[in-house]
Amino acid sequence: MTYTAEISRANPSCFLFLIDQSGSMADPFGVGESNRRKADGVADAINRLLQNLVIKCAKEEGIRDYYHVGVVGYGDQVGPAFSRSLAGRELVPVSEIGNMPDRVEERTKKVDDGAGGLVDQSIRFPIWFDPVAKGGTPMCKALSGAHSILQGWLAQHLACFPPIVINISDGEATDGDPSGAADDIRKLSSNDGEVLLFNLHLSSQRASPIEFPDSEADLPDQFAQLLFRMSSPLPSYIRSIAQQEGYKVSEGSRGFVFNADIVAVIRFLDIGTRPSDLR
Amino acid sequence: MQVFAQAFWAPKAGNNDSEYEDAFWPGKPLHGEATCFRFAVADGATETSYSRIWAKQLVRYFCKSRPDAAFIGEGLRDLQQRWSTIVRKRPLPWYAEEKIRLGAFASILGVVLYDDVRCDGHHGKWEAIALGDSCLVQMRGEEVLARFPLDNSASFTNRPHLLSSNPAHNNRVLEHLRRIEGTWQPDDAFYLMTDALACWFMREVEEGRMPWIFLRDLDTSGEVKPFPEWVEGLRIEKAIRNDDVTLLRVDIT
Repeated sequence: MTYTAEISRANPSCFLFLIDQSGSMADPFGVGESNRRKADGVADAINRLLQNLVIKCAKEEGIRDYYHVGVVGYGDQVGPAFSRSLAGRELVPVSEIGNMPDRVEERTKKVDDGAGGLVDQSIRFPIWFDPVAKGGTPMCKALSGAHSILQGWLAQHLACFPPIVINISDGEATDGDPSGAADDIRKLSSNDGEVLLFNLHLSSQRASPIEFPDSEADLPDQFAQLLFRMSSPLPSYIRSIAQQEGYKVSEGSRGFVFNADIVAVIRFLDIGTRPSDLR
Repeated sequence: MQVFAQAFWAPKAGNNDSEYEDAFWPGKPLHGEATCFRFAVADGATETSYSRIWAKQLVRYFCKSRPDAAFIGEGLRDLQQRWSTIVRKRPLPWYAEEKIRLGAFASILGVVLYDDVRCDGHHGKWEAIALGDSCLVQMRGEEVLARFPLDNSASFTNRPHLLSSNPAHNNRVLEHLRRIEGTWQPDDAFYLMTDALACWFMREVEEGRMPWIFLRDLDTSGEVKPFPEWVEGLRIEKAIRNDDVTLLRVDIT
């Protein structure tokens, strides 16, 4: 049985996000909030995701290190994208992420008052990333970097729930064919299964997203087909989460979304990072 | 009626005793005679914070405050406010505040045993309420008389209905509060179990084994192993899910 390892403080797992920070990320999403820059949407989604991961791991005594998390940016430069006190770190225990946001903003949220009404509640909103959009799309270099980060991690965590890599991009690699580097990542494994590589293609087109496809036949261009082939098939535990969330998935479905709008980005990150067996 | 009640518990593997988030009442072994006894177990949800405090509040509330059968209303509201006061005693980091805003969650199983006055204290009735997947089993000799609220191992899912310390989350949940009643006679035994143990128990029964023998013999001359060691063995065999485990055994003597 694969993808069944318990995730615990003694046996943590790992998430690695690869974020396209190329110049075209300054273009708006094609669907929905049409004036929203893709770079802004992705930064927001990653901040929310980190916030959710920290909250999931938080207990009364503090944050339990169930995960180590890394974010690699690629655009003008390729490298770890954390800033300030976490700058330069490749994989960071989730407790350090929770305790060291770049800043914490005050926001107001409407919440259920338990008596059928809504009340405004002030909440603190931590920020780790600001949007960046500059340079080309050196995806091959980002994937190779991810490979070496994960190789080091796996050498020390042989029995871990396999790491999950989520690559978020809006365009073609400008430094060659990324499929070899993607294959190398998917071949890495722990005793519990192979590393999962998911790809999220952001869109400036006004077309609905194609989520978790099981064939490349309906994908409109070569680049989408390439990203589909680079993506891992969904393991059964993620298929069942996706089904519960209303997605149509089959055994051949892959961790790939084409033409994602901001809603699809958030839903995909939520499904791809939901723990299977957190203890 | 005379009863002897004793709890056995073990934290999930990898956690220490202070991280155990189930709760039971009474907190100490009880050997006594009365016309009415109340017992409860609760299972605080792992992914929420301060669920141990919430689970403890629930079992104490059920057993000490003697709520009416509905188990809702003002009492629960007071309990939620007290939880909020306890957990907000000091300034908290952003994630702890958010966790408190989300609330703690726990299952609750409560049982009341009454004497039947017409029977001179030798027979009587029982009632139970449950929300979630902590389960009650009534044994008479080698027969399983009642299983409540779940009655088979396949019914245990990862998403039970749980009672929250945040009133906003309880609007629909209370629709899932279940009740049952029955009768007892001398030498009956009641096992109140949190979900991992209850699921194991039911699977054993379904497969034709007699899981009550081990539970019955705990802390007697017939005991095979102390409870935590035995649970550890089941975890190694993957016969039981790695979770906090609680048994509250009530013997009518």
